[in-house]
Amino acid sequence: MIRHLSRRDLIRYCGAAGACLAAGYTCSEAKADEILKVGIALVSPVAEVGWTKQHSLGVAAIKSAMGDRVEVNIIDNVFQPQDAERVFRGFAASGHKLIFGTSFSHGAPIARVAPQFPNVAFDCCAGSKVLGNLGAFEAKYYEGAFLGGIAAGKMSKGGKLGFIGGFPIPDIVGPANAILLGAQSVRPESTCNIIFMNSWSDPGKEKEAALALIAQGCDVICAMTDSPAAVQAAEQSGVWSTGYASDMSKFAPTKQLTAFTVDWSSIYVKDALDVVAGNWKPQSRWQGLKDGVVKMAPYAAGIPGDVRAILAKAEEDIKSGALQPYAGEIKDQGGAIRIAKGAVMADADVRSANWLVAGMLGQMKG
Amino acid sequence: MIEHLLVPILSGTIVAATPLIYAAIGELVAERSGVVNLGVEGIMLIGTVTAFAVAFAGYPAFVAGLAAAGAGALASLVFAVLALSLATNQYAAGLALTILGSGLSAFIGHNFGSASLKTIAKIHVPILSDLPVIGPVLFAHDAMTYLALAITAAVWWFLYRTKAGLVVRIVGEAPQSAHAIGYPVIFIRYLTTMFGGSMAGLGGAYLALAYTPLWVENMTAGRGWIALALVVFAAWRPGRVLLGAWLFGGVTVLQLFAQGIGIKVPSELLSSLPYIATIIVLVAISRNPQTLRLNAPVSLGQSFRPQG
Repeated sequence: MIRHLSRRDLIRYCGAAGACLAAGYTCSEAKADEILKVGIALVSPVAEVGWTKQHSLGVAAIKSAMGDRVEVNIIDNVFQPQDAERVFRGFAASGHKLIFGTSFSHGAPIARVAPQFPNVAFDCCAGSKVLGNLGAFEAKYYEGAFLGGIAAGKMSKGGKLGFIGGFPIPDIVGPANAILLGAQSVRPESTCNIIFMNSWSDPGKEKEAALALIAQGCDVICAMTDSPAAVQAAEQSGVWSTGYASDMSKFAPTKQLTAFTVDWSSIYVKDALDVVAGNWKPQSRWQGLKDGVVKMAPYAAGIPGDVRAILAKAEEDIKSGALQPYAGEIKDQGGAIRIAKGAVMADADVRSANWLVAGMLGQMKG
Repeated sequence: MIEHLLVPILSGTIVAATPLIYAAIGELVAERSGVVNLGVEGIMLIGTVTAFAVAFAGYPAFVAGLAAAGAGALASLVFAVLALSLATNQYAAGLALTILGSGLSAFIGHNFGSASLKTIAKIHVPILSDLPVIGPVLFAHDAMTYLALAITAAVWWFLYRTKAGLVVRIVGEAPQSAHAIGYPVIFIRYLTTMFGGSMAGLGGAYLALAYTPLWVENMTAGRGWIALALVVFAAWRPGRVLLGAWLFGGVTVLQLFAQGIGIKVPSELLSSLPYIATIIVLVAISRNPQTLRLNAPVSLGQSFRPQG
């Protein structure tokens, strides 16, 4: 029963198929008007702690704020840009009206897809571009890092901190500087040994790094890695630690001073409500403690009352703007004055930090 | 001051090398019989999550270790059926196993993300453990660290001092000849592959039980691949595998100490040192073409179909 297809037949069939598809598409479009479909690409499956876990809080917040007026679809393990582009296009083509990227690596692909779907709202965490229908948002980690630094400076015996970060990039170097500045604000002679893993996740190496720092006399381990291995190793060795992204106190029940965590819920919910109301505007947001995007994990029970009072005061002052973590005078490792007395580091410089403050023992570049 | 830093560096070296020793020594036996199993990374992950799950359920560490070894053997059985019985391409089958192991372990480990285990106890040898430097470096580790060394010695003795070891090597050198004189080539390769799998499982178990007692997805972080490379660069000789693992672990720990001290070298370069140093040293000591020809199994990676 194989019929010979002429070219004209073929065109006719294709046209018919296209019409069917189009009909189906408009149907789904019509439905999407009633329920907001939100698409979110996550870099990894949701774990108990870490970056993706904090984004899943935003998903939960949208659901609880909007109930059955929203349908949230998540695709996880989307890290590579080429995968991300396919996922974003898929979301947009299947009637999602609000689409989130959750990583720096999503920035370029989402910026390529967004112009092709002008009626869809795109928003990208750690994204760098803002277009007609693409926003970007990021957290002021350094505000939380500064508070963690105050706790570290107060609780350290010798004022020697140790920092473990993934890569020597501004997103990690900036908070590292803020931690030491926080510590120096309560104990001027504080120093910080710094180690970069040059990998995003290697629990074994993170533990070795923590042990190396402890052996070198550091008694507060400030970890800015995705796994709790360093915080756990500090607990096992009986030294203090600070965590990052999520509260890691399950892995260090007595020794995690605090953790500076991120909570994107307010951004996710506002985006969703604005899209439904029809007044969503693409914007670049960079929020911290005041907006609740950066939150401190509960302080360790071992922190005495007077230190808690200092921390509470500092948190209030950062929220009100009275305390600027990057206020001058700030010198770099070489002793050169980078921020003059009375000045505050410009936002652009904070976001492109590629130098270490005085008191850092470690190498940024060759 | 020197002793103060020397002890944690050397002691850290031995700890960091242990998972590599397990995985590499198992793979060495498999490769000696002509089987390349690129699934080591995946099997290690399956071993890690199995050990974590069993220990988390409250069973003692040695049960968790045994379970991980069993799970590793089982995972390599999947590979063996594909690559040995069905004679599919060994490299493709191994890669598939790595992908399977990574996904399967993530699936099983999904609920373990917030859990923390107690590490297995360190052995305290009277007198020896109290010696300065040598004591804490050599005689203050857990049983799994010593087991890795014992297994390495046993593998050396097995391969070079027993008839069964000779048969394994013959199967790797000339499978058709071994078959012709009556040895069950496929069966022997099954055994070596499953030994390799159980060792990779143990290497993975070491991560969960002793090294970092938590579960993080893909927490082996490429150690399976390092183990595979060690076997080749060590020219398929157990002693050199041990040396290579210590070297890799040692430089890894050392570069972390160097970074912490603030040495004026970019961290990217320091982080790549373990790879560079291990390759250079092992290639240098194994560069003799005679040694390579004598040790590289001739039928490595080739499927065996009995002829005649």
